[in-house]
Amino acid sequence: MRTFRQIQPILAALRSHKTAVILLVLEIALTMAVLGNLVFIVYGTIQRSHVSTGVAESQIGLIQSITVIGEQSQGTTAGDLAALRNVPGVTHAAYGGPPLWYVERDPVFLDPSRQHPVAQMYEFQGSQDLSRTLGLHIVEGHDFSDDELPVLAKMSMSKDFQFPVLITRALADRLYPGGNALGRVLYDGNAASRVVGIVDHLRGEITGRPDDDYSMVYEYVVGAQNMGGGFMIRASDPARLPQVLHAAAAALQKADPAHVQNKLFTMPELRAKYFRSDLATGRMLLAIILILLVVTALGVSGLASFWVQQRRRQIGMRRALGATRGDILRYFQIENFLIVTGGVLLGALFAYALNLFLMHRFELAHLPANYLLAGAVALWLLGQLAVLGPALRAAAVPPVVATRSV
Amino acid sequence: MFGYYLDLALRSLRRSKTLATMMVMALAVGIGASMTTLTVAHLLSGDPVPGHSATLYHPQLNPTMPPRLVHEPTSAMDYRSAMDLWSAHRADRQTLVASSPVKVRVEGSGEPPLPRQVLLTTSDFFPMFDVPFRYGGPWAPTDEGPHARVVVISSTLNEQLFGGANSVGRSLRLRDSDVRIVGVMAPWRPAPRFYDIWQGRYRHGNTESFYNDPEDIYTPVATGLDIFAGQVPGVPVHFCWDMGADGKSMQTAPCAWLSLWVQLSSPAKVHNYAEFLKGYAQQQKRLGRYTSDQTRLQSLMQWLEWNRVVPGTVRMQAWMAQAFLLICLVNTVGLLLTRFLRRSGEIGVRRAMGASRRAVFTQCLVEAGLIGLLGGVGGWLLTLLGLWMVRQQPVAYADLAHLDLPMFFGTFAMSLAASLLAGVLPALRASRVPIGFQLKTL
Repeated sequence: MRTFRQIQPILAALRSHKTAVILLVLEIALTMAVLGNLVFIVYGTIQRSHVSTGVAESQIGLIQSITVIGEQSQGTTAGDLAALRNVPGVTHAAYGGPPLWYVERDPVFLDPSRQHPVAQMYEFQGSQDLSRTLGLHIVEGHDFSDDELPVLAKMSMSKDFQFPVLITRALADRLYPGGNALGRVLYDGNAASRVVGIVDHLRGEITGRPDDDYSMVYEYVVGAQNMGGGFMIRASDPARLPQVLHAAAAALQKADPAHVQNKLFTMPELRAKYFRSDLATGRMLLAIILILLVVTALGVSGLASFWVQQRRRQIGMRRALGATRGDILRYFQIENFLIVTGGVLLGALFAYALNLFLMHRFELAHLPANYLLAGAVALWLLGQLAVLGPALRAAAVPPVVATRSV
Repeated sequence: MFGYYLDLALRSLRRSKTLATMMVMALAVGIGASMTTLTVAHLLSGDPVPGHSATLYHPQLNPTMPPRLVHEPTSAMDYRSAMDLWSAHRADRQTLVASSPVKVRVEGSGEPPLPRQVLLTTSDFFPMFDVPFRYGGPWAPTDEGPHARVVVISSTLNEQLFGGANSVGRSLRLRDSDVRIVGVMAPWRPAPRFYDIWQGRYRHGNTESFYNDPEDIYTPVATGLDIFAGQVPGVPVHFCWDMGADGKSMQTAPCAWLSLWVQLSSPAKVHNYAEFLKGYAQQQKRLGRYTSDQTRLQSLMQWLEWNRVVPGTVRMQAWMAQAFLLICLVNTVGLLLTRFLRRSGEIGVRRAMGASRRAVFTQCLVEAGLIGLLGGVGGWLLTLLGLWMVRQQPVAYADLAHLDLPMFFGTFAMSLAASLLAGVLPALRASRVPIGFQLKTL
């Protein structure tokens, strides 16, 4: 009760320092707006960097080899894949690319007239065994069987040809809300596809947008062609993936000397590279957040110590009239709490406005309310911490000050 | 009078060192963050061809047909349209560009082939885009037949393969063809690599790759097609509107893969070229080769703008840093206010002895300005630190992050302006200090 009774005189005292109070409230509000959104961005980046692509990332390695069309070469893609599969430690190998690595994006249509695209989807295409090399989890339907795959050499692009495809659960729900996607026919820009299976997740990229998980996989049988591009292997033991990948690259080079191996990397390396610049940005923003807190604390404590100095006589008088040190301490703490509360209320509004701006300009997601709550708690604590020094100094003012002039 | 105020301000700073240091530091941090991000944004949105970017234009057509008809002009053109427009020679200069990976080696060096990028282009590319040469020069326009075997290489590749020596006249092996080096470029780093950007508008701000180094090898389009045996997928395509591109020749493929650039030195020429472009599209539509007669003719800077080349993260950081500076400013206003009002007694005496309000106001502003100047020095040092941090980041534009002269002066101007702005309100309050009241308390 004592605390509540103090509020009235504190508010009355604050009324004679309008400018300073407004400045403090404004500073805290702005800090809260920037803080809330920055933390949201950084946390979102960190969260995003842990989202799985849906493939057996720890086991996958990629060999990128440059096009060899037109070269005299005894190698064939089928031969290359067989050589890769024979490397000890390799369980599967396929021609094709993994997620996060230049996956083609195409509109998807429900009818052959291709008038209204339903969504944009990632298209994973490659040789036989692509889905097994990626380690996809089929949750409905079945994986590709060898007899249903089209043969690349004999692929006819007639109007009624349909690729058997796997699509993700997310894409199935988007295309056929509430319905069964199995056996349905869908169309990309070029060809018609029949859904034979549904996989749980397969993200072409991890941007945080829901359509990351709209993907389609199709395979074709490669044979005597000699193709450059990505060759993927899946190792049985994640710990030995780097060694197995190097052995596989050596085997590929031996099987097909005309290949120039451009790049060699494991899926964990690809992932690290994909998020490298985002995480670096996140670290910089984190540094800004810390500096921001320090600056705000500085402002609060600077103004508080000014007020303490200005009110030394009044404090002395209150002490002489019987107020305890605790009363004085609490006076400044409550005063600070009231100001910060004002700042936080205005700050919630600012944070929301800034978030709207960022959503509009940079496709940021909606700022959840708990960030505002966390920001408010952080600022209350920061305010109390910043005011503690000046408040203690105020509490230490001896009653005798009241009897002196100044 | 100014000197006297400066002296007063210096004395006052010395009297309360802690508060003064805190204020200068808070301002410096705000300026540092703001100028670091603004410098990066400024460098990335700069003019890649300073001097005559205003005369460079990027014509666009819409050669797409069903089944994948698009409803706006494409970033690049199909071979036939590009060649028609290029060989019409209706502009002062015109060039074609398409970038492709290729393997390259020096015959007899015993070194393994290197994967590099080659730019298929024409001889006008070099004078149009102000490409500097160290040795030799561009190939002659007469060297643009399919059997010419000429290349220009970058200074980086020259350094790698020939140790930086004059390699003009030496030969390289591109895929399976021997080509002769006719020119070696001096270091050239257009930012962004404006002539080969596309779809930037649809990349959600992921445009960092636009700031990669330019290609290492430059060869005539016809030579390039010959070396690649005219095949897709030798050259990456931007967009195909029909199936069956595989195995077909690039010359007839229903794909957009060549970009055209033209130089037009006067508004009249721009107008004429736009008319010519429209005429061509209409004619092609009449012939049934196009579905749409859309055209677009954008200047280089418009094209960059349209592609939103500055990466989203860079723009967002710049915005956030400005918000951060704003907080630092409000903070400075608050601290200056306490600083000036603490001296109410002193100000009261000055006023009583005849100083006008204006004099007190000026004195306070001089002090604020001094803090701003000191904050500017701190901000400049922090900007250098911030740019150094950007250079350590794994981003394509890292090497570009240097403080240039305008941004150096900008740092101090911004700091001074910020502190003066922050000083106005506190100085006004200080100059309104009532004389009598203050004297009584003394």
